[in-house]
Amino acid sequence: MSPDVPAPDGGPDADVTSDVADRIRYLDEVMAEIDAEVRRRRASGDLPAGLEQELDELFLEFSPVGLQGRARLRETLSLVDGSAYVDIAVPTSSNKAVGSYVKRAIRKGLGWYMNFVVAQIVKFAWSVSRMFHVVVDHIEDLEATVEANRSPDLPSGLVPATPTGSTWWAPAAVDALVGVSDRVVVGDCGDGSLVEALTAAGVDAYGIDPSDIALEPALDRGADVRAEPVLGHLAVVSDEALGGIVLTGSVQWLRPNERVRLLDLASTRLVVDGILVLHSSSPAAWAATASPVVRDLAPGQPLHPETWAHLLRSRGFTVTATIFGGDDRQLARVGAGAADAAEVNAAIDAINDLLLGPTEYLVVATRER
Amino acid sequence: MTAVHQFVPALLPRDATGDHTRALRDAFRSAGWESDIYVEAAHDELQDEATYFEEYPARARPGDVLLYQLGTSSPVAEFLLGRAEPLVLDYHNVTPESFYEGWEDHTAVKVALARRQVAALAPKAVLGIADSAFNARELEELGCPATTVVPILVDLHVDADRVDGHERVRLAADHGASTVLLFVGRISPNKAHQRLVEALWIYRRIYDPGARLHFVGPAVTPAYADAVFAFADELGLADAVRHGEDLTEAELAAWYQDADVFVCLSEHEGFCIPLLEAMQAGTPIVALDAGAVGETLADAGILLPTARPATVAAAVARIRGDTALAHRLADAGRRRLADFAAPITRQRFVDVLAGVADAERGVA
Repeated sequence: MSPDVPAPDGGPDADVTSDVADRIRYLDEVMAEIDAEVRRRRASGDLPAGLEQELDELFLEFSPVGLQGRARLRETLSLVDGSAYVDIAVPTSSNKAVGSYVKRAIRKGLGWYMNFVVAQIVKFAWSVSRMFHVVVDHIEDLEATVEANRSPDLPSGLVPATPTGSTWWAPAAVDALVGVSDRVVVGDCGDGSLVEALTAAGVDAYGIDPSDIALEPALDRGADVRAEPVLGHLAVVSDEALGGIVLTGSVQWLRPNERVRLLDLASTRLVVDGILVLHSSSPAAWAATASPVVRDLAPGQPLHPETWAHLLRSRGFTVTATIFGGDDRQLARVGAGAADAAEVNAAIDAINDLLLGPTEYLVVATRER
Repeated sequence: MTAVHQFVPALLPRDATGDHTRALRDAFRSAGWESDIYVEAAHDELQDEATYFEEYPARARPGDVLLYQLGTSSPVAEFLLGRAEPLVLDYHNVTPESFYEGWEDHTAVKVALARRQVAALAPKAVLGIADSAFNARELEELGCPATTVVPILVDLHVDADRVDGHERVRLAADHGASTVLLFVGRISPNKAHQRLVEALWIYRRIYDPGARLHFVGPAVTPAYADAVFAFADELGLADAVRHGEDLTEAELAAWYQDADVFVCLSEHEGFCIPLLEAMQAGTPIVALDAGAVGETLADAGILLPTARPATVAAAVARIRGDTALAHRLADAGRRRLADFAAPITRQRFVDVLAGVADAERGVA
């Protein structure tokens, strides 16, 4: 391409170049002030979190693109119905008198022929339309059945925040992924700390998080992060495009069918020998620490590490490490001199084993096939 | 004698491609060349200026150069693929079909065909002329052996006589002290009018409850236009969003002058002539950095990295609250406009096409 793009005040003159640089610097300052104003409005409550997303979602309600399920089917069906009629009355108006006369003559002369052909086209179109109505009715029956068995989403205001800053498991995750040459995605990356730690360790890492608010600190620091949910992101990544996947946050309360979908995607998006790192609360800690409302309304709940290991092995993974961490909730044993010390300590040990212990764990697995 | 003949799917009056094609024809003829326009269809007003493209073979002469104004699908593309004359593409970009899918599937099919035609023509062309470096990159990626960037030929004069005085007075009476945002362009999904509505809603909520948004342009994708206006109604903005259609050039100039800020949040633009029109009117510009917008705008406006409505609203508020910034942007716009002056662009086209004709004749 030749360099012919008209550049602003282009030319070799040093004064002009300096002038352009000043203008660009000034606009950069204005843009920084605009960003600061947006942050200030967010902090003050003028721009509640999620407001912009709600606007986007509202627009989708008016959009055939955004219509889901039944509404989209009905919208498409109405388009089929609307185009199933063919009008043979060709417009004959023209800016020129002779043009209109010629068009009318053509329409009159070809009317019998057009009528014959169009009648058959319309008959076919209505047959197709009728077939679609039958299909849509059947699909709506199926949807109603599925809907009756569906568990509701966890209300967005109740979604537990992804832990930010340094976590106990971040060094173990970095250790597991150091040396991976393909790209590594960190799901529910929050403020991007783990992405930056991985990058600092020489890993080609990027982060995704469904909350653009949570991502703001990472974006401000220039981290490679984007606002996407894990399932949605992995669905559009090519097979064997990733060397590592880190899962945390929402992975803990996915519905069972979403969890299956996540594991299927992870097992195909990772290269052979790719590393999966999964962080979760333990079921007992979840039961003890999550609010009752979240526990009751969450579509799913954390699994035991043994269950994850089972699910991963069934998809061709080998679990190479299970690391426990977080708060180690333990009842202290009583001293040997206490009355009935042996019986009391046996009961404490049983309680510690069954109900308490580490609150979180990390599973590291390698895709073998 | 040099002969550069243009092919264009449709020759329409008051249309950017149509005006560009006719202006180029005049420029080529002024250079002493033969130049005719061949079309698939022409508006009644322009029938005398166009010839049906299939009549070209009977008129072809050795040494002819063919210049195709490429911006939509047409049988003209298939015709040119079969011609032996040197072919130059003047590429105005084709909107990706993904913008239309779901909204207007037949248009998605049509633009997909246009993109296939671009892909077929690009390797055959001796040169691709593009409105912008953004368009040139597309041609290069499709195998065009050489490209150059020459802006679309638009005749923009700062001329008070071209503003409709009555319309200007009428708009001013409605305007009052509140902010008026303006966008000019087809109501089509790639132009992201819903983002403008979102920005207006946030702007009214935080900065100016009386602010209004003016759209000018035909509703070429009716389902999308209906959705945008229904969305505005739902947000309680029915009286704050105004749609101007079928405006004369002078009325449009009045709408530009009436606006406080021109806001463009298009997600795909191959050049964006309305930016130049806003510069001509001295209206400060806020625009999303997408497609060729950043390239056309350069430093003559606030270029946003995101179309998030809070950022757009804050940018508009920044301009409204800082008269010096508004004047500075208007001045920068006028400076930038000079880069697209018609005489310069006209001469660039003549020089580029002369180079092609000379090369074909073997002139060193």
